[in-house]
Amino acid sequence: MKKLLNITCKEATLLLCKKEQNALSFFEMIKLRLHMGICSMCRLFEKQSLFIKINAKHEHIHAILNKEVKEKIKLALENEQ
Amino acid sequence: MNNLKNFDPEQWVAKYSDALYSYTLMRVNDSGIAEDIVQDTFLSAWRNRLNYKGEASEKNWLYTICKHKIIDHYRKKGRNIITYAETNNTDNFFDEAEHWTQADKPKEWGMDYEQPVEKKEFYGILEMCKTKMQQMQRSVFVMKYLDDLDAEEICKVLGITPSNYWVLIHRAKLSLRNCLEKNWVNI
Repeated sequence: MKKLLNITCKEATLLLCKKEQNALSFFEMIKLRLHMGICSMCRLFEKQSLFIKINAKHEHIHAILNKEVKEKIKLALENEQ
Repeated sequence: MNNLKNFDPEQWVAKYSDALYSYTLMRVNDSGIAEDIVQDTFLSAWRNRLNYKGEASEKNWLYTICKHKIIDHYRKKGRNIITYAETNNTDNFFDEAEHWTQADKPKEWGMDYEQPVEKKEFYGILEMCKTKMQQMQRSVFVMKYLDDLDAEEICKVLGITPSNYWVLIHRAKLSLRNCLEKNWVNI
């Protein structure tokens, strides 16, 4: 039984990714809970994982398209007319 | 609403090209590819201008076309999937027993993880870390964490199985977490 329920940190972090997307099976949930109860590093991983989720969703690039490319696009559009 | 039948290409490019380029760059992390996608978007919009019914704003209409072009790009990349499994060697975060190694185990960042960072330098590092990911990991990561697509849809676009999907998400997360810790938290 113990062998059946024991998971490694590698497995636990995979299950944490699934948990974040509500994709855990019941059995996976049990295994993950047991591991999280004893592993402070995986608990930290979960917090930092949430941090990534919160911060990845942000439109922060304000780039300027190269002038030459703009001219090229205008030219291509004019050629279509 | 606007009628595209009498639009001016010059104005169109002036008005929307920077925004579309920024939007695309966030999702493909390659300026050359992003430039091509923006050009494709304008050309495709022009060719389909008669289908534009004016229901969405001109801007939203262009964004919709651009989104499709980006998905097409992912789809093409997805065809090269065979290579990703063999070339992947990001498993060095764990030892033989699959526990965290001393060097790569998560360390306390000393911050509130639930607060958005909203700092320019952080976003710079986030983008740098995204470019360090493998192509497929990045595609999956962006589709999920930036655009919040369903896992099912992502699998369909990339032609991958759910199990491939979880492997890619897992590796993307591990790699990004590690890169942020090494490059941002410790500066």
